[in-house]
Amino acid sequence: MFFGTIIYALFNTAILAITALGFNLTFGISGIANFSYGAMYILAAYVSWMLVHLLGLPFWLSVFVSIAITMVLGALIYRFVLLRVRGQVLSEVIATFGIGLGTLELFQYLGFVGFEYTLPVFIDDSFMIGDTVVDWQRLLITIVAGMLVAGLWVFTHHTRLGLAFRGIAQDESTALTLGIDSDLMGMLSVSMGCGLAALASLLIIPLGSISPSEGYDVLIKALAVCIIGGLGSTGGLIVASFIVGFAERFTDAYVGSQWTMIVSLAAILIVLVVKPSGLFGRQKELAERI
Amino acid sequence: MAEGPILKVDRLYKHFGGVQAITELSFELAEGELLGLIGPNGSGKTTAVNLISGFVKPSRGAIIYRGRDITGLAPYAVVRLGIARTFQMVKPFYQLPAYKNMIIPLYSPRVKQMIGGRYGDRDAVALDLLEEVGFERDSQVAYKSASVLPQGYLKRLELAKAIALKPDLLILDELFSGLSLAEVASIVPVIEKLRKEGKTIIMIEHRLKELFRIADRVVVLNYGMKIAEGKPEQVMETEEVKKAYLGVEV
Repeated sequence: MFFGTIIYALFNTAILAITALGFNLTFGISGIANFSYGAMYILAAYVSWMLVHLLGLPFWLSVFVSIAITMVLGALIYRFVLLRVRGQVLSEVIATFGIGLGTLELFQYLGFVGFEYTLPVFIDDSFMIGDTVVDWQRLLITIVAGMLVAGLWVFTHHTRLGLAFRGIAQDESTALTLGIDSDLMGMLSVSMGCGLAALASLLIIPLGSISPSEGYDVLIKALAVCIIGGLGSTGGLIVASFIVGFAERFTDAYVGSQWTMIVSLAAILIVLVVKPSGLFGRQKELAERI
Repeated sequence: MAEGPILKVDRLYKHFGGVQAITELSFELAEGELLGLIGPNGSGKTTAVNLISGFVKPSRGAIIYRGRDITGLAPYAVVRLGIARTFQMVKPFYQLPAYKNMIIPLYSPRVKQMIGGRYGDRDAVALDLLEEVGFERDSQVAYKSASVLPQGYLKRLELAKAIALKPDLLILDELFSGLSLAEVASIVPVIEKLRKEGKTIIMIEHRLKELFRIADRVVVLNYGMKIAEGKPEQVMETEEVKKAYLGVEV
């Protein structure tokens, strides 16, 4: 059981990392905490489901279309809502949370609830490691999570757009004087964050079913990982995913599954009290230096 | 090169709530000229720079750059037209080494447009530019994080970032403040070299002695209004300027 718990804790780590990556990217670049993130995650799954079941598109094609639609929605949210309240943190949170709440409750109201709302796995097979059954879908999630983290590092360190993102993230006014359009970067950051939410959703949701309530859990988990790691820090996100991923699986295996969400919330509280800027957060240190 | 002034500030006004920060400010700048913008603390110098560089929108008036109305353009758009600025309070990317701070301007749309997308070895270009402003090539200072650099180097880095943008008009906001006499003496040749290359420069300065050695002309502000304009020595002899600086009754 112990070895199996370790294996599934690793998978859980990858799932948490890929779930939080988009939220972290958006916050890291533009400082926007996109509280509609969980809703975008669920929306992408429903869009894919509709494309497959109502239009008869192959699943792989629905994935691309669904990610594209979610990215466009993210851009529109920035352009027509966030741009108006940019810099007012509470307004940004309320506006995005309102959009998320409205989206999830709309799906609930329209009756998109039930076990028929599922998506197919990419690879429907499994294998054994010792006594533990390992399915290819979880392994695929782990591989994609690793590739995304590495890809984002290369992107932000070696491309023009990535460098512009880093510039905006570190000092917006300096970036502006260097010719970087901060509104465009903000829009792209929200759009890419939503795109990553969609990708995570279409990889993870095939393990279960689509449910509006899952949107709230996704948001809480993304927040937990990002706050523990330090908002905007990719290294922090990985370490926090390991901490929460292992804590959840071991709680599930040895204490009881009803306690797993409590573990995430308790971890947020403890980190906020002990190290308010998160394990790898730099905001506090910067503020102190200035 | 276009006829007429490179920059024309035309009856500019700016108020913040009930505070009138700039009142009917007008001046022109010829291509290749070095203009000093001086005045006591709170006289509106930085607001004037913020208006020209797009960080603040004027309440009234116009800013014409190379015959084009750039009033109210966003800062990034102003930069792309060839106006670069530095900040009085330095603003490096603290998390990056000094030479990596240079990569973002070297990758900017303005530079891309000017060099046709052929960047070459950007690290080498960054190190060359830093050496030009006083980062010694044989020391490791260019590789150090901006967060540990002393003020003198941070000011040079600020200047190097602006130069990297290949501007036609360079606005230097109190570049000399916080620097020792030796440090100022080492930066002055850099500015003179920029002038020889044909750059037009606006310098906001409190270090008047150093400024007057290199400025062609100065504009003096007080309470947001232009109170004098002309050759440095002449301007300082006017009664209004004496009163503004020394509090002497006319």
